[in-house]
Amino acid sequence: MKDVFTYLIGGKAGQGIMKAGEVAGNLFSMLKRYSFQVNEYPSLIRGGHNFAIVSSCVKPVFSFYRDADVIVALDRRSYEIHKPHLKPRGLMVVNEGDGEGLGLPIVAESRKYQRSDLIQGVAGVAVLAAFLGVPEQRFQEFLKEAYPKGAEENQAYAQTMYGLTKAKTSPRVVSQGSKPMRNIVGNDAIAMGAAAAGLDCYFSYPMTPTTGILHFFASNADVLRLAVMQPENELAVANMAIGAAFTGARSMVGTSGGGFCLMEEAFSLAGMIEAPVLFVLGQRRGPSTGGPTYTEQADLFFALTPGQGEFPRLVASPGSIEEAFSLAGAMLNLVWRFQTPGILLTEKHLAESSMSVDLDPDHVPWVNPVLYAGSEPYERYRQTPDGISPLAFPPSSQVIKWNSYEHKPNGWTTEDPAEFTSMHEKRRRKQESLVSFLRTQKTVNTYGDGETVLFTFGSTTLSVREAMEYSDLKVQLVQPIFLGPLPVWELEQYRGRRAFTIEQNSTGQLAMLLHDKVGMQITGSILKYDGRPFEPTELAHQIQEVLR
Amino acid sequence: MKKAVPLLEKQGISQEGLVIVGGIGCHGKIMDYLNLTSLYAIHGRGSAVAQGMKLANPELSVIAFGGDGDAYGEGLEHTLFAAKRNSDFTLVVHDNGTYALTTGQFSPTSAVGFKGPSLPKGSVEPPLNPLVLLLEVGASFVARGYAGHIDHLASLLVRAVQHKGFSVIDVLQPSVVFNNSFKEYNALVRELPSPAASVEEAIRLAKVTEYLPIGVFYEVNQPVFHERLYGSWNPVVQRASQIDRRKSLRKMVTP
Repeated sequence: MKDVFTYLIGGKAGQGIMKAGEVAGNLFSMLKRYSFQVNEYPSLIRGGHNFAIVSSCVKPVFSFYRDADVIVALDRRSYEIHKPHLKPRGLMVVNEGDGEGLGLPIVAESRKYQRSDLIQGVAGVAVLAAFLGVPEQRFQEFLKEAYPKGAEENQAYAQTMYGLTKAKTSPRVVSQGSKPMRNIVGNDAIAMGAAAAGLDCYFSYPMTPTTGILHFFASNADVLRLAVMQPENELAVANMAIGAAFTGARSMVGTSGGGFCLMEEAFSLAGMIEAPVLFVLGQRRGPSTGGPTYTEQADLFFALTPGQGEFPRLVASPGSIEEAFSLAGAMLNLVWRFQTPGILLTEKHLAESSMSVDLDPDHVPWVNPVLYAGSEPYERYRQTPDGISPLAFPPSSQVIKWNSYEHKPNGWTTEDPAEFTSMHEKRRRKQESLVSFLRTQKTVNTYGDGETVLFTFGSTTLSVREAMEYSDLKVQLVQPIFLGPLPVWELEQYRGRRAFTIEQNSTGQLAMLLHDKVGMQITGSILKYDGRPFEPTELAHQIQEVLR
Repeated sequence: MKKAVPLLEKQGISQEGLVIVGGIGCHGKIMDYLNLTSLYAIHGRGSAVAQGMKLANPELSVIAFGGDGDAYGEGLEHTLFAAKRNSDFTLVVHDNGTYALTTGQFSPTSAVGFKGPSLPKGSVEPPLNPLVLLLEVGASFVARGYAGHIDHLASLLVRAVQHKGFSVIDVLQPSVVFNNSFKEYNALVRELPSPAASVEEAIRLAKVTEYLPIGVFYEVNQPVFHERLYGSWNPVVQRASQIDRRKSLRKMVTP
């Protein structure tokens, strides 16, 4: 069984919980340990119950674990909620008087400082460092970098909490790994992957769970040399991205289901005018406003069919944070290669969780589209065998016409039945070219070996991988990276095998898709739709149940 | 527009760097009459498309055409925000006071009592005053033209395109079929000698109904959106090299 150390910090929104979780993850990185960090928070700025869990191991870890070695409860509510999940011999730290365990004057001491609420998260980090036996000076240096704002106050406060913890507990020294680690949150990985593939413009209206991409680009616009804009709504977002693409700018937008509803007309426009735009669709719990800060995978069918009419489209979903990075880059290249809109489908659990990853920008290609060479008069929608017409951008001596009406090869409007037919056929050839190309690419991941097949997509893959390692399950996990077009040529080999899907939705959309497209007879599905990600020990138990 | 293009070329705005954007409606048909580089977009979104173009390549001169339904109805938010942030492009609104392409329903600028197939007893909504609205949100160039005075309109268009910042021309354009008001307009329009000295004065002029002032109501030089956002730079012309991009990213991902 994997030797995983888990840390949990809980409290009210406004006490610096999420920051403390991030810093705790970095503390494990300093110890050369892998970590996985997840946040849970309500859609409130102040007062709601927040918590962060960091699970760490000397081996790669793909999920958080519920049962914790250290719990820091900054208020009584957190103590009550998380008390049942303390491991035997684990350490419970509470604000003095708020419960049983090691009581520290977390709130009383914080009153001595200016940022007295936000600083309380620092206590949680100091407790962890002391308990892990990190020498005080090394911890203080680490802290200065982790909390650059109000460093002196933080250090004084941390010193008190570190000292009290050290005096009242015996340290649990964990083993260290061999190489330096870097924790990256899913949203940042998506942003960096697109940037590595040559992104020029990012447009977004803030919406959980992809707001982090907007923040990443906004704070790194100058160093990466990108144009970043927050327009008036998602209608503007999508149409601006199309306008930018018209000039040759590689453009991406980010949103969640509700925002993507507003982008549908532009999605169809992009299909018709053959505008390359990458849409990041971060799923959260729906329908409608739903549970805005919770995870779900219920928008698979939505992502496969948005927009009126028939046109080539691409949908792919990353199964890890490394894959979020490489796939964002690959998708940006694909939409430019095939001049059609694409969706990078992800979910809150990947977008807002972080883990130790090894990302290499040098491995993300920067593919140039087919460009007009200038020998004959330019035709935007020139008929070609593969359906892909060369691109030209203004300023140009040629007239370039992109047209939402059905058009002739030169871009002028047509209502002629033969031209209607031939343009539909051009776009269909492009779809066929896309499939031929994908056949040469890695489109499916598989993990483990066993007679029974488990199918997942997106971040559920991480949960299943961890459950498989935790319980040493003899199963084969299959994750289609591309969902539209679905790589049927790779999936057909599993037909006839005993198969289950594991999904975070209530209807089993992946099972239906595999049935419809591949002719798979899915024996059953493990579905979770309470807005929370799968927990690996519980999931391992559920998998064992269905395998029986 | 056919008159304006040669005038623009004379002013140093070449056809090669000129891009036009159209929405959907009668005005959009202009896209099929002009052999210019263009993006024929969807209803109401022309101003958003135009702003994306300008943000990505500020060297381009961008003109968006809209109708009253398009720019003041379906896409009003894009029109107002373009004016508010002073995006550097020109919006030409072919304001005929009706949804002519869909057979003459009332539009955002139709008068009370305007009869169309969706309200046969007449419109019960007062029209909005687009010029007042745009002046209020900070448009830096606001003009009204009249389709019956073509030379005047062409010169307005040239001035609007030359203006650095958001420029809008509301063009009184009778729908020959559904709202033919050439006679009334001919009697009422009067060319303004010069723009108003203040926004307040321009708003007062925009509310005048005894006659119909046409010309530039207001013009002011103000910092433009893309320069305020990223300074003096061109995202597509001066894009980062792959080597520089990778170097910056490596710093972010290295432990």
